Amino acid sequence: MIVTSIEERLVSFESGGEPLHAVLHLPPDAPTMTLVFSHPFAEEKKCAHRTMVEAARALADAGFAVLRFDHRGCGDSPGAFGAYDLQDWREDIAQALDFTAHEVAAPVGLLGLRLGATLAAQVAEQRQQTASLVLWEPIIDGERYIRQNLRRTMIKAMMTAHEGGEESDGAAAARASQAAGTVDFDGYQVSEPIREQMAQINLLDPPPACAGPALVLNISATGSAAEPMQRLADAYPRGEAISVRAEPVWQRIGVIDAEPIISATVEWLRRQ
Amino acid sequence: MSDQQLKQQIKEMIVERLFLDADPAEMGDDENLMENYGIDSVNLFEIVVGLEEQFEISFEDEDFSVDLFANVNSLADFVERKRS
Repeated sequence: MIVTSIEERLVSFESGGEPLHAVLHLPPDAPTMTLVFSHPFAEEKKCAHRTMVEAARALADAGFAVLRFDHRGCGDSPGAFGAYDLQDWREDIAQALDFTAHEVAAPVGLLGLRLGATLAAQVAEQRQQTASLVLWEPIIDGERYIRQNLRRTMIKAMMTAHEGGEESDGAAAARASQAAGTVDFDGYQVSEPIREQMAQINLLDPPPACAGPALVLNISATGSAAEPMQRLADAYPRGEAISVRAEPVWQRIGVIDAEPIISATVEWLRRQ
Repeated sequence: MSDQQLKQQIKEMIVERLFLDADPAEMGDDENLMENYGIDSVNLFEIVVGLEEQFEISFEDEDFSVDLFANVNSLADFVERKRS
């Protein structure tokens, strides 16, 4: 049996008048830093849940406090997914930072995965006092992110039709969703205004100015750095790109070995 | 690049990207990928991204069909067609 002395406290803070569900992971001793953890969205959040829990526990075990929370319309927080937009979710992060600064006596940094990392990076641009910024496989190009999600939807429709013995037409499913004024992200309906906001994401333009240390963690099957991730890290005044070989934790449900991702993050944070 | 080299590269890409416990050299060109390697929709997405990145091709909406992902032969034919 594994016995751990870290504390996990169920907490709540307000954003946009809604109480957000959160878990505060605290190390046994006074933390050297607190990290606000912003999750990925839609199907990617469901897939990444276990990895995020494991990461928060490992970070707490290494001396960092972590606030893991659900954005409005996601997970255990109130509201419908389609009722909020990217600005609302950035506001959630800002409120989480204020709450954490009030709750824990330690510098506050940001950690995010996929779209959660992108939103964290955008919030960090407005808050120059961010202690550290850790971006796990951030969405750098919003149009590419939308294309990826549409493809997943098409492939899933194609496979579902195939398993049911029907003619597959994933493209038709995507067109039907678009005709309804939404974009289907693997079962999550994204409204046209949010799609527009996502399409405008470009973390390289304007170049980031966040002055604190920034880690861009590239997670891939090859373990080699993707060129856009390296460019993003280079754009930060104190940026560093690290690549790890691991399965895409935001795409798979089941037991996934996220240890390379977590270890690389802990080691990098300890060096700051 | 010869036809055999292309197929070998596709096999290596599939094994690497899907974290398969398999030897690319032992994959048959016409082996059914979905049945023999348990390839699902998540895996197919990885294969699409891998083909686009490695062979600098681009999938169109109309390209998506189960037959395309049937085996290494069909994938190699698709890559050749896109590059020609």
